[in-house]
Amino acid sequence: MLADKDFIRYSRQILLPECGEAGQQKLMQSRVAVIGVGGLGCQVAQLLAAAGIGELWLFDHDMVELSNLPRQLLFSEADIGQSKARVAADLLSRRYGTAVRALGKLDDASINLLDDIHWVVDCSDNFATRHLLASFCYTQQKTLVSGAIAAFEGLLFLQAASGASSVKSGCYHCLFPKDTESAKRCASQGVLGSAVAAIAALQAQMIQQLILDMPLPSGRLQRFDFRHFRWHEARVPADPHCAVCATRGETDPC
Amino acid sequence: MLNIQLNGEARQVDSAQDLASLVQAQGVKQTQVALVLNGELVPRHRWPHIHIQDNDNLELFSAVAGG
Repeated sequence: MLADKDFIRYSRQILLPECGEAGQQKLMQSRVAVIGVGGLGCQVAQLLAAAGIGELWLFDHDMVELSNLPRQLLFSEADIGQSKARVAADLLSRRYGTAVRALGKLDDASINLLDDIHWVVDCSDNFATRHLLASFCYTQQKTLVSGAIAAFEGLLFLQAASGASSVKSGCYHCLFPKDTESAKRCASQGVLGSAVAAIAALQAQMIQQLILDMPLPSGRLQRFDFRHFRWHEARVPADPHCAVCATRGETDPC
Repeated sequence: MLNIQLNGEARQVDSAQDLASLVQAQGVKQTQVALVLNGELVPRHRWPHIHIQDNDNLELFSAVAGG
């Protein structure tokens, strides 16, 4: 049973038949990791905290910089030089009462902390972190919602814990194998904060629907071309040569 | 010549062309892009083995990792 105050606070969510009181309780019992507290991560963390997600773990070792402020809306000039994860955690716990842990860089050592996490949102800004995370999530059966943005290109990809579907779909490494290099980065290509917020909102929506047991297709790349305002969707089939998800003994496709 | 769509634009290409040479002709680095053929992502290692067909719909886009 929800407390009366929570019932009123989350009433617009509870009104949705797909959520209801039981769904709200699921959201409040969920523990979500947000990897990267930059443009995407700030928005994702705020939307999830406001929706009543029980616990958030924020991974980032960067400090707030002046050039972050147009799109990383949890930070202000007074925060420059301070830890992004710490500032975001303090603000979100104060404003929404969410239990938020501020953690440092996600690397080979700290990634094992994710053993205790239910859901993972990738908001990082480099392929090294994305590959490390996607490989861990595939092996450890964690659902990963990956979002990326640079310039006018936004990407969204769900890597569901395998076994959720009878048809094997591609993993993140099938989409972008390990030797993929970044052609576009926000730091070198630029980006508008509103485009970042749009992709982040979709990541937050996706995580909440998954928590509410609303099935979503895994192994599909959603790509939004902001320049032409057009959606593109592509199936990402399991690659028999994939370094992460390929099953041994499969035939060569070539 | 074959008629294809590349990123929404009508193009004509050589009938012998494979996906790898098409990507190369765009002047982009193979490891920095991904390719969708008729709604399905094609792994990079398969590009040299797939030849373009008439009316193929191709989407070539940058690998994006920004956050």
